[in-house]
Amino acid sequence: MLKNRVKEMRARHSFTQSDLGKRVDVTRQTIAFIEKGEFSPSITLALKLAKALKIEVNELFWLEGEKEDEK
Amino acid sequence: MKNDFRASYPLWMMAFIVVLGILAFGLNSPIAEFVNTETETSLTIRLEALEGFIVFLSIILYFGLMAVYLMRLKKHNKENPTQKISPLAIRPPEYLEQDEGMTFITRKAVQKVYSFITLALPTLAVLAIVLPVPRLMIIYGILAIAFIQYLIYYLEIRKHFKGAEE
Repeated sequence: MLKNRVKEMRARHSFTQSDLGKRVDVTRQTIAFIEKGEFSPSITLALKLAKALKIEVNELFWLEGEKEDEK
Repeated sequence: MKNDFRASYPLWMMAFIVVLGILAFGLNSPIAEFVNTETETSLTIRLEALEGFIVFLSIILYFGLMAVYLMRLKKHNKENPTQKISPLAIRPPEYLEQDEGMTFITRKAVQKVYSFITLALPTLAVLAIVLPVPRLMIIYGILAIAFIQYLIYYLEIRKHFKGAEE
């Protein structure tokens, strides 16, 4: 399962889900689905999110079981 | 979700199905006589007072519902010029495909509906073949399947939307 720090990074940048959605050209609901882990984004969207949140993509998304100690 | 006409579209269809069910009751309860000879082809439906009232009421309800539905559709198309819905579209307008996340939840809901349909339709067919089921009951079976498929779709989409509230 894909884990992520989208919610944490979004809060760090003071973005609402709608703000972030507009920056990466998706709906607010899609941001919410990603944050809740209901939906794993495509590589394209993951890269767009990482760019919008000014973070490396592998720092924003990782596989469950990996990096657990770091997070 | 409340403001998205496409998300509430299944509710409209469910309402239309209920009205259709009432109309089917009104039309099937009275004596219906179908004549098909070499010289004559006719369908005579004799309505008693109550059945006549039910048919009349369901037709009024249907057109009332249709008028409100078309007004809401017009409002949606005015507010969402890039996501217009045609009342004559073949593709189900309840599909939410603005982006990959919405496409994902639509796919999940459609999978659930498909699972239901693949079980429900053959079951209804077997029941209709094996049992001496009256015509009205078969009509109600078909309408129930149509109603439940919209209900499954709506509940699945709503579940995701509720969890996605900010």
